[in-house]
Amino acid sequence: MLKGFGNFLLKELKELVRDPKILLGMIIVPLLMFPVLGGVISYATQSAQERATKATIIVVDNDGGYWARNFTASLKKANVRIFIENNTVLDNENITKLLSKYNATQILEIPRGFNDTINAYISGQKANITLRFYGVMIGPSAFESISSSVIDALVSKFNREVAPDVLTVEKSAIIKGEVKHGVDPAVLSGLLMSQSIALPITIMILLTYSVQIAATSVAMEKEEKTLETLLTLPMDRLSILLGKLSSSIIVAAVGAVAYMAGYSYLMGSAMSGIPAGVNLDLAALGLAPSLYGYLLLGLSLFVTMLSALALAVIMSAFAEDVRSAQSFVGYIYPLIFLPSFALIYLDINTLPLAIRILFYVIPFSHPIIASKAVLMGDYWTAAFGIIYVSAFTIIVMYAASRLFATEKILTAKIRFKRIRKRGEKTAEELQ
Amino acid sequence: MLAVEANNVTKVFGSIHALDGLSFSVKPSEVFGLIGPNGAGKTTALRIVSTLLLPTSGTVKVFGHDVVQEAADVRKIISYLPEEAGAYRYLSGWEYLEFMAKFHTSDKAEARKMVIEAAEISGLGERLKDKTKTYSKGMKRRLLVARALMPKPKLAILDEPTSGLDVLHSYHVREIIKSYVKRHGVTVLLSSHNMLEVEYLCDRVALINKGRIVAEGEPKELKEKFRGTNLEEVFAKVVKLA
Repeated sequence: MLKGFGNFLLKELKELVRDPKILLGMIIVPLLMFPVLGGVISYATQSAQERATKATIIVVDNDGGYWARNFTASLKKANVRIFIENNTVLDNENITKLLSKYNATQILEIPRGFNDTINAYISGQKANITLRFYGVMIGPSAFESISSSVIDALVSKFNREVAPDVLTVEKSAIIKGEVKHGVDPAVLSGLLMSQSIALPITIMILLTYSVQIAATSVAMEKEEKTLETLLTLPMDRLSILLGKLSSSIIVAAVGAVAYMAGYSYLMGSAMSGIPAGVNLDLAALGLAPSLYGYLLLGLSLFVTMLSALALAVIMSAFAEDVRSAQSFVGYIYPLIFLPSFALIYLDINTLPLAIRILFYVIPFSHPIIASKAVLMGDYWTAAFGIIYVSAFTIIVMYAASRLFATEKILTAKIRFKRIRKRGEKTAEELQ
Repeated sequence: MLAVEANNVTKVFGSIHALDGLSFSVKPSEVFGLIGPNGAGKTTALRIVSTLLLPTSGTVKVFGHDVVQEAADVRKIISYLPEEAGAYRYLSGWEYLEFMAKFHTSDKAEARKMVIEAAEISGLGERLKDKTKTYSKGMKRRLLVARALMPKPKLAILDEPTSGLDVLHSYHVREIIKSYVKRHGVTVLLSSHNMLEVEYLCDRVALINKGRIVAEGEPKELKEKFRGTNLEEVFAKVVKLA
């Protein structure tokens, strides 16, 4: 054993454990954050599964024979809520009419000749028939594919019970009211999701970096004893604040570009292993943001970054040194991580109202919400998000500018212990 | 018009009265020293004059400008050197001086002239090209004193200008203050623990104890009045009396 190691380690542990900032930031916050995250995801999974099993499917029976009725009965037995329509040609217009008539999102067509094909198979001929499934694409979410899997499960059950491989399903996605033949909503959703993971993760990293940079740069001025000199110079104090914010944004943006370059290379390598069937052109399907969408998304990201930076500057103004500043801004991280992780998996519109409000209140959710919204052509959600985050940012920036305009920037300190004696301690240090 | 006029200034932090009715005045072009023990309120007083802190009550005027009401005007005519000031670690000494000069003038030629003069008074020569993180404490202080004096402020506020420096660096800094200030007619308000330094530099001094001025005058005058051979003795006697 190294001489003095045990003694030194004990001292280090005592110091770390007795530092309430570390205890809160490193232990209590993660202990609370991950169970909350887990709870949200598990709730969302359950509700998506329930929705899928209780799904309403419009069955368009264009055959009307014995086996068609038998198949419909097997759907009923599996507790799927169905509405039956007969002899309807499924063109764009009829599909839209049917979906709005029954307020449903899925249609299954049993084609003409269904009964004859199965009878032929049973009598020993080689035959099969294809059912057509149409699913409305709501947005990228990990649970979007569940309803499509329910159909797969029912078809394979029918195949097992009646005749192997007699039934196949051709799936089509309904995107923004347009039927895209041969595009499986589940595969599409998976692809969109794999692409939409990149954005929340980048946003998370970008925000975390910039918050760290801003907090450190303010705390460095205090730690290196340069702030006092700066505050007595003939300059606008708002320039100090804006200078800190702007430089943090620039450095974080350069970091984000470097990060994205590396990340897209990684994603490119990972995607190259995906089968060719998944190779869908999202832009051709109308599932890539328009120029307007990109603009809204960029604006949303910008105001959110400003809000995070302003918050970091305010919090770090209460710190005496870089270490304390980094611990303080650690409290912002759950607010960044929670929406980033959760909204990778979840569609905000499917969450219970209370959780939905919680996500809307957290400003750092908005670029992620906006990224999904603009993809589906919903510009209002993105615009409202920008307005909300801008208002939040203006309030925080105003508070930050007030802080810089007064002596509080020098004297404000947060102490977890002896808060009542804060004035005394500050006075001692100032003399 | 007086350079500094402090009237009945108090500053309260929580339950501590850092300044308790402090009054003093500084005439233009004089070097005025505030001397007192640790915790007497010297730094608080200098911070109020330099617009960093607000007085709880009382008024302070710098060349007729109120430090609370006209803080921006005051900042245009002062230069403050805090006791524990630092420089930006990743800037060279030269870059640091350039950065600071640009706050005092928008004219490039004038800023350059200011920096050249500061470089000269710092006496750091070629080392100004190096990053300030490589400087010794003494070198850093010389750079900062040069920074504080280069804009030729109407009032230079120097908090413990030679604190923690070795004999040679202290000597250099004192010489800078003495010669440069007299040459350019800059008024100086400084605080110091070093009585010899104060005696050498200051035209007048004020002894401060527990947030109040307990004696004020020229060093010679004070020595005669309190029958001390130097300011150290005077200070000890005055503080005991107080």
